[in-house]
Amino acid sequence: MALFGRTDLPIQKNAASRFIQWLVMVLVFMAAIAATVNAYTGSLLAHWNRSVTGTLTVQVPAPMEKPGKPNDVPKDVAAVLGVLKIHPDVLRVEAVPRAKVVALLEPWLGSGEAVSDLPLPALVDVALKPGTDTRGVTDAIMKAAPTALVDDHRVWLNRVGNLAEGVGMIALALMGIIAAALGLTVIFATRASLAEFRDVIEVLHLVGARDDDIAGQFARRALGQATAGGLLGLALYAPTLGVIALLARRVDTSVLPNVGLPIAHWALLASLPIVAGVLAMGAAHVTVRRALRTMV
Amino acid sequence: MAFNRKKNKPFEGDTVALDTVDLSYDGATPVLSAVNLALPQSSFHFLTGASGAGKSSLLSLLYLAKRPTAGSLKLFGEDVTGASRNKLAGLRRRLGVVFQDYRLLDHLSAFDNVALPLRIARVPEAVVTQDVTELLKWVGLAEQMDAHPPTLSGGQKQRVAIARAVVNRPKLILADEPTGNVDDTIAVRLMALFVELHKLGSSVVVATHNESLVSRFPFPRLHLDGGRLTLLPPLKPAASILGEG
Ligand SMILES: Nc1ncnc2c1ncn2[C@@H]1O[C@H](COP(=O)(O)OP(=O)(O)OP(=O)(O)O)[C@@H](O)[C@H]1O
Ligand SMILES: [Mg+2]
Repeated sequence: MALFGRTDLPIQKNAASRFIQWLVMVLVFMAAIAATVNAYTGSLLAHWNRSVTGTLTVQVPAPMEKPGKPNDVPKDVAAVLGVLKIHPDVLRVEAVPRAKVVALLEPWLGSGEAVSDLPLPALVDVALKPGTDTRGVTDAIMKAAPTALVDDHRVWLNRVGNLAEGVGMIALALMGIIAAALGLTVIFATRASLAEFRDVIEVLHLVGARDDDIAGQFARRALGQATAGGLLGLALYAPTLGVIALLARRVDTSVLPNVGLPIAHWALLASLPIVAGVLAMGAAHVTVRRALRTMV
Repeated sequence: MAFNRKKNKPFEGDTVALDTVDLSYDGATPVLSAVNLALPQSSFHFLTGASGAGKSSLLSLLYLAKRPTAGSLKLFGEDVTGASRNKLAGLRRRLGVVFQDYRLLDHLSAFDNVALPLRIARVPEAVVTQDVTELLKWVGLAEQMDAHPPTLSGGQKQRVAIARAVVNRPKLILADEPTGNVDDTIAVRLMALFVELHKLGSSVVVATHNESLVSRFPFPRLHLDGGRLTLLPPLKPAASILGEG
């Protein structure tokens, strides 16, 4: 007697149902990877969202050196700092030292003598008090230094948000395709088994088995095979994730920050074998029920 | 024998009632024509007729593998026409069939083959073990319980098939040449099993063209010829069964 109840069909040794197990392993592996990519993108977005919300970067552009036109940068920076230091919405404000600006530009401009002579913009980092609007501060800055540019990182964040949304859609579509592939495989494998066991099923009917009894035997088998396949898929996924995490750790944390994945993600992964099992069970049950209607 | 089934619902009237039933496999040549048949509860009939006369076909109507081409069929007082698949399964659980070609499941042991109707009816496993063991001993297969059908002789398979047909103590037993492959001693012993169930209240139909077997028992004969069914008297007078023991 099997764990999931009695079976009168020789499906234990059946090649078609073994095949389901291996296929589900691959499908669940792929689904887990897709889910992880999706969750990581989401976490990344949340991470950046948290770290840039409530901050502004004020840029005081350097004017073209023209004879007769004075360089107003230090004056403008002082004006901005002066306004912001007493502004009620501001938590912190500091001018970014010139050395740091040079460092930020280094990848594009290189280092050395040439840079130190260039007219560089001055940057001021502003942290706002939580829950305050950027508008009041922006207006105050514009009044103090009309040439200043205020960047609240929204444009950039929106782009990242769109990317994360795209990744999410792709992951969702992938899940759909994987589920469909699983369903179709179970249907065809079950049909093959049905043909193989036609005589046995007829005898079962003749000694009083109901369609549900027989469909249940196929369904339990599919449930077991798909759940086992799903667990194998997760077993394959775990070391893969480990390797990816190891490789990611070598990348600069400013590019791939170390963000944790939400608990819901791990719950989703854990549920994959069960979802695969239930899906396979349902597909097998429906397939058998429909096929049996034409039998004795 | 410790047959202790409680699921046999009592019913009114005849176990089997056929009313002008036709059967044709190809829609043109009739195998059975205008067959009328009433099998009372607790009856015993032989079903005779030449090879190809339609004995197996008639039985297949009764165990619900075929539907009549025309006419009506009632089993246990219930009209089979238009019955749901679950209903048919329920009716099949109340009858036992010995198929002419046994129809044992090769992947199951003799024990599990006989246990099948009980397990399908969700009889507790302890009862299954007891009943099946006892019955297999009775038909002389105590040594072959774990053997699978392909390793059994024709007569042994036949006995497994008979055990499977009667294990659920059905109210209707349909046996198609049940003793075709065993010697006369075993044949009589197997017939005694059917007779005992008949005495306990089951209706029994035994299809055979073994005239010597028919002549040993005082049971009426249903005879098929040219698609027509006629009821013939017993070959053996009823009184002489007393001397037989
Ligand atoms: N599945 C089938 N399809 C078509 N024709 C069939 C089928 N089964 C039986 N027949 C035909 O029906 C007729 C009756 O066959 P059946 O098997 O009922 O005879 P029988 O009396 O049981 O014969 P036997 O004593 O040899 O077992 C035969 O002519 C046979 O060829
Ligand atoms: Mg026959």
